[in-house]
Amino acid sequence: MRKYRGPVAAIVAVAAALALAACGGSSNSSSSSASGAASASSSTSSSSATGGAPKSGGTIKIGTVGPDSYDPQEYQTVQADSALHLVWTGLLAFKDGTGQASTELIPGLAESVPQPTDGGKTYVFQIRPNLHYSDGEPVKPSDVVNMVKRNLFLGGPFSSFYDDIVGATAYTAAKKQTAPLPGMIADDASGKLTIKLVQPDTRVLYAFAIGEAGVGPASKAIFKNTTGNPFPGDGPYTLKVVNPSPTNGEFILTKNPKFDVPTVAKGYLDQIDGMVSTNVNTMTENVINGTYDYMTEDPVGDLLPQVESQYKDRFLIGPGYPNTYYFFLNNTIAPFNKLAARQAVNYAIDPTALQRIFGGRLHPTCNLLPPGMVGYTAISPCPWRPNGTPQLSKAQALVKSAGLTGAPVTVWTNTKDPRPAIGAYLASVLNQIGFKATIKSLNQTVYFSTIGDPKSKAQIGFDDWFQDFPHAGDFMGNLLTTAAAKSIPSFNSGFVSDPHIDQQVNALDAQQPPAVASQWAALDAYVNSPTHAYLVPYGNEEDTAFYSTRMNVTQCSGYPNLVHRVDWALLCLK
Amino acid sequence: MAIEPASELSSVEGATGFEAAAEREHAVGIGPWRLAGRRLRRNKVALAFGVLFLLLVGLALAAPLWAKDVAHTTTSANHLTEILHEGNKQVYVVSLSGVPVGPQWFAAGGKFFLGADDNGRDVMVRLLYGARTSLEIGIAAALITTVLAVVVALFAGYLRGITDTVLSRIMDIMWAFPVVILGVALGTALSIGGLKVGPVTLQSGSIAIPILIIGFVYVVYMARPLRGQVLSMREKEFIEAARAQGMGSFRIMFTEILPNLASTIVVFFPLAIANAILLEAYLSFLGAGVQPPTPSWGEMISEGIDRITTAPHLTIVPGLMLVLTVLALNIFGEGVRDALDPRSKVRISDN
Repeated sequence: MRKYRGPVAAIVAVAAALALAACGGSSNSSSSSASGAASASSSTSSSSATGGAPKSGGTIKIGTVGPDSYDPQEYQTVQADSALHLVWTGLLAFKDGTGQASTELIPGLAESVPQPTDGGKTYVFQIRPNLHYSDGEPVKPSDVVNMVKRNLFLGGPFSSFYDDIVGATAYTAAKKQTAPLPGMIADDASGKLTIKLVQPDTRVLYAFAIGEAGVGPASKAIFKNTTGNPFPGDGPYTLKVVNPSPTNGEFILTKNPKFDVPTVAKGYLDQIDGMVSTNVNTMTENVINGTYDYMTEDPVGDLLPQVESQYKDRFLIGPGYPNTYYFFLNNTIAPFNKLAARQAVNYAIDPTALQRIFGGRLHPTCNLLPPGMVGYTAISPCPWRPNGTPQLSKAQALVKSAGLTGAPVTVWTNTKDPRPAIGAYLASVLNQIGFKATIKSLNQTVYFSTIGDPKSKAQIGFDDWFQDFPHAGDFMGNLLTTAAAKSIPSFNSGFVSDPHIDQQVNALDAQQPPAVASQWAALDAYVNSPTHAYLVPYGNEEDTAFYSTRMNVTQCSGYPNLVHRVDWALLCLK
Repeated sequence: MAIEPASELSSVEGATGFEAAAEREHAVGIGPWRLAGRRLRRNKVALAFGVLFLLLVGLALAAPLWAKDVAHTTTSANHLTEILHEGNKQVYVVSLSGVPVGPQWFAAGGKFFLGADDNGRDVMVRLLYGARTSLEIGIAAALITTVLAVVVALFAGYLRGITDTVLSRIMDIMWAFPVVILGVALGTALSIGGLKVGPVTLQSGSIAIPILIIGFVYVVYMARPLRGQVLSMREKEFIEAARAQGMGSFRIMFTEILPNLASTIVVFFPLAIANAILLEAYLSFLGAGVQPPTPSWGEMISEGIDRITTAPHLTIVPGLMLVLTVLALNIFGEGVRDALDPRSKVRISDN
């Protein structure tokens, strides 16, 4: 059950009630509305809620720390996904909506969500006819093959999702763009696309629905990072990068007149200006004074209680978007290639201390899987803190016995609040237990790609994971498998490589999560058990959404979207 | 070695009339440094700020004592979940909503004398260690600036010709960059990757990086006026005499001209320290200076800015220390300038 905090609880409760009403009253219609508004049902966009259709048109400004990349196969962050999934639509998509409905798989470029055949090893997609990219080129099944090849060739962060396609491993090894990928058979004339897997994998449909599976014309989606010159998309909006600066950048999303995927929301707004900045406080002040209309970040410091109390009619908060915050431990280099070092950190970390750094928005955890995820079972008592408190003396003894006293450790974190404070906390704890810690702080836009590159030799640091799709394999597969560790940059920042995890993830991915929930729970306990201690999960964050007075928050908040955090296609003005 | 006659330095144009005449009379037989000391002693304001600066230095030196014997903590130790007793009331060092406790003075036996920060660290301890950082960087950077500026000024001003042209153009280029922007650019680049020049390697978190950056970016601001002095000095009779005696250029530069630049350098030095401390604070505030967890005032202000309403002590206290230190150095430096060379109007400006 989702809980909401404080005065906004009532607002969200009403929204949730409306969601139920909307689910009963609307269908996933295949016809788009005349106004160009979202055709897919949305819990918060139910017109019955206010007796009128949400307003279409207008331009808004969104404050954000910005996409880490403007290449759909390369980006890693939620901020990138929120914006860029509107530019590139994949074979499949997630339903535009809020709450649990937003995790539902729907057809995108494909006419329907296919059922697997051949014992779960074959999927046949039929591409809709007469679809075009924003530059007028027709959408073809071979473009999807190009997208997968591009992902494998570039070793994009999500490339491991396609490893089960027949020939994918050989294609990656060949390091040749034109090498064959026999598991994908495209027939451009009929619009048919057949995908054959080496083994059943229930994640594969999601892998064709996430924003990173966005498709572009094969002639323009070249096999190198295109963040400086993004290729045309097939989504409801087109992208123009005005200034790619990660500290003072700007990008503009404008309606794509050629977009014609009936199941995917067309978006209410004519234009969305993304204003990129690293200063969350300025962003918050800009939303307060109406310069910006929404921000992708959470207010921090003194501004959080101020916004919570003074702007409760346009500020939403809750544990909506499944996530886990954790510290990665690089298992391949000293000192965390030693189990004792990893155990020591786990024993020493106090999630209730970190809760304070998050201003109370963090719920302590001992699990990697977040609450609400199928397979989540709270690990209780937590082996590291059986009495709820950290065991510093045990940690110190472990460091000493491993001969690591005084070992230099660099803590990696990024500059987005409150992450510098999180890094300082971790450094403080490491110093307390005997290491000699320093801190390295990077801009958020380059942070994850840096720690995910083995050449950086990042030893330990801040990390988080927000659900891409409702599947435990999204967490376990991306964060802990050998296949994920081979992507560059990798989400497996600790470069964990454990045959048991690989085997289990492969086996469990073959089945629908509810059928193997207990096995996922067992794997969750395994990765963070004292015998492995691969990483240090410490909390699940409540996320927020803050809007200007111009925005129609009642009908069009787009929050909480459990895949994109906030669905920008549902945002509208009053 | 030749030093200009005392009468030349003491021909005070700033002090006219009877006062100047009296000073000239008293100055007979007194060396320039003694005379300057005498003038400085008369400047009570400058002396007061000099004493204040020494007090600040004393506080910085006492940091380990305070941390160990009074606060019982270190600069980086967090106390996020600890509870303090305020009379019958118990308060968390950092509340669940993230607000740190304010100054406790001696209510907790000296712990959290100036309160805690977001990480539950003792602000007083970080402030004192921050003073050490600021002073270390300020003095070391000012030394680097001074040495480099003197060398550049001597070579450019004495040798003239192609050497002067090349060095002056390099200085023009550096002058064109605002100091803070140049410092941030260098600081950001080096704070991530560190610095490796031949066998010398500086880790990214090393305090030597901001020292080098600050020392480097201010060279031009000291070298230019010094070069001007060297240019005028090389035409003086005592230099001509040295040349006539067959002294080489290097010897003239370092044994004849350099001693005569001493008074100017002494004037510049405290001002250079003040500017270096300020720039260090700018850079650390912007994340391009001292890297956490090493405490520095600029970094403390930066960390406290998010809590300026609920925990204003986080910004006010290091800000006040910064103001006092820079003010003390500037006023004392002005006093030294007036004492050594009341005619001089040269100052270091930061852009």
